[in-house]
Amino acid sequence: MGIVVVYLVPFLGTIRLSFSTWPGVGRVAPAGTANYRFLFSDPTFYDSLRITLLFAVVITAGVMILATATAMSVRRGRGSTALRVIWFLPAIAPPTAIAVYWGFSFQPISGAVNGILGKVGLGSGHAWLASLTEARWAVMGVAIWAGVAFPFLVLVGAIARISPSLYEAADLDGAPKWRQAWNVTLPMIQPVLVMITVLELIWNFNSFTFIWAMTRGGPVSSTSTLPVRLYSDAFVHFNFGEASAIGVMASVVLVAAGLIGLRFANSRSDTE
Amino acid sequence: MRLRSLPGAGSSALVKLVWTLIILIPFVSMILLAFRSLAALYNDPLGLSGAWVPENFRQAWDGPQGGSGFSVYARNSVIVAVEAVTIAAVLGSFAAYFTATLPPKWRRQAMIPALVAQTVPGIALVIPFFQAFNAIGTLSSPAAVGVLYGLLCLPTTVLILHAFFVDFPSDVREAAAIDGLGPVGTFLRIVLPLSVGSLGTVSLLNLIWVWGETLIGLALLENSASQTISIGLLSFQDKWLANPGALFAGLAMATVPIAVIYLIFHRSINSGVSLGNFR
Repeated sequence: MGIVVVYLVPFLGTIRLSFSTWPGVGRVAPAGTANYRFLFSDPTFYDSLRITLLFAVVITAGVMILATATAMSVRRGRGSTALRVIWFLPAIAPPTAIAVYWGFSFQPISGAVNGILGKVGLGSGHAWLASLTEARWAVMGVAIWAGVAFPFLVLVGAIARISPSLYEAADLDGAPKWRQAWNVTLPMIQPVLVMITVLELIWNFNSFTFIWAMTRGGPVSSTSTLPVRLYSDAFVHFNFGEASAIGVMASVVLVAAGLIGLRFANSRSDTE
Repeated sequence: MRLRSLPGAGSSALVKLVWTLIILIPFVSMILLAFRSLAALYNDPLGLSGAWVPENFRQAWDGPQGGSGFSVYARNSVIVAVEAVTIAAVLGSFAAYFTATLPPKWRRQAMIPALVAQTVPGIALVIPFFQAFNAIGTLSSPAAVGVLYGLLCLPTTVLILHAFFVDFPSDVREAAAIDGLGPVGTFLRIVLPLSVGSLGTVSLLNLIWVWGETLIGLALLENSASQTISIGLLSFQDKWLANPGALFAGLAMATVPIAVIYLIFHRSINSGVSLGNFR
């Protein structure tokens, strides 16, 4: 019941509002398909969509590769419990604290990133977050840094459930560690891997906090993903109808991608 | 054999060391910078050198000129967190238990809404939340946001507790029924006391989520005196340009308590996550 109240009803509300205009006060006025027609004719909407897809794909790829590698590296051995705890810390810290810290680190001269670059002779005056081309890579880097922790721990759990006898057999055959990772661990965790990859794509498509805290979608609109655009349309420009239309279209893209993803995952598991 | 495995072990130790440094350096430098002055920060952006300025923490606690301080944000975060965790635990455990006692066919159906809800992004819900809060006049009310957070925690709570209750031995339940306890009595007096562990795990995961939630809070808590730590840090960003040390003190005070809670309960939290909590 509670789930219906806080998830389904608001979602229907978003759909209804997407066919209306509402400046945040007063009555909601019906507007037909005006919001959608405006967005479809707005080139910055397509830019936003492209940036969103870039963020979703790059962050998910970075996060999944690093999470798989790090999860495999603590399969056993001394200190692996301590490493698991330390490596999970970025998922515990409040996202805004992480984003504000990194946002400051990317400042010229006073920032830690430039401090380190300056020490190794690469120059410390780089204004990362003010650059039209580099701001997005800085933000994606931070999202990856913070995002690895969660799939890492899920994969640690999946790897722990693999029967040790498989590794003993591989040891007897003299398979080196990297071969065991490739031929034993990877196939065994494949179902979990596919599932988290799909979830990560959804989450990173919707990621908001790191971008908002580091760049507010700028410079110009070079990091303005759909969630950021939605938020600033609604709560900065008080154009709630248009913002809702963005929300509906983002959901349509996600559901379509999710269905394709599921189909893909199912057909993969059917053929194997 | 030993010789052959040596290079592999060496490279994996190196990878572990590098990754640990990449994770830890930002946290350590965040805490060091919280103790530094503006001048020291420009000389050494990692915060390794310079005089200690613990005064930064008092400034962050009291707040900048014309803005709320960390003390206000911390109070709001505690209100919101206590409410949300309690609501999720009470409603979630009831929902999870009574769906877990359904026949298996119905059980799976009952979990579908919770599964779907977990993938619904906050961004698709935030505008109607704003509309509703606006209509009933609870914008800038941490108490109302706490209730909403509690409800939003329900899908995860129900999914994790449901998995636990399904595995709960049914003969314990039957024995209680023979002793004359009704279903609610069985749940409250027999099952719940035996479920403290998983209830604790779920509550910790909820606490971590609520402590860091930003999008919904940002939209619903407009007045700076009503904001939680997560939201407040965003206004700290612009207000401490003259003394970034106080900004870092705020970041440290936001991060250290939740990190300490994690370090104490890491076993329970880690097992909750690796068992497949997909928030």
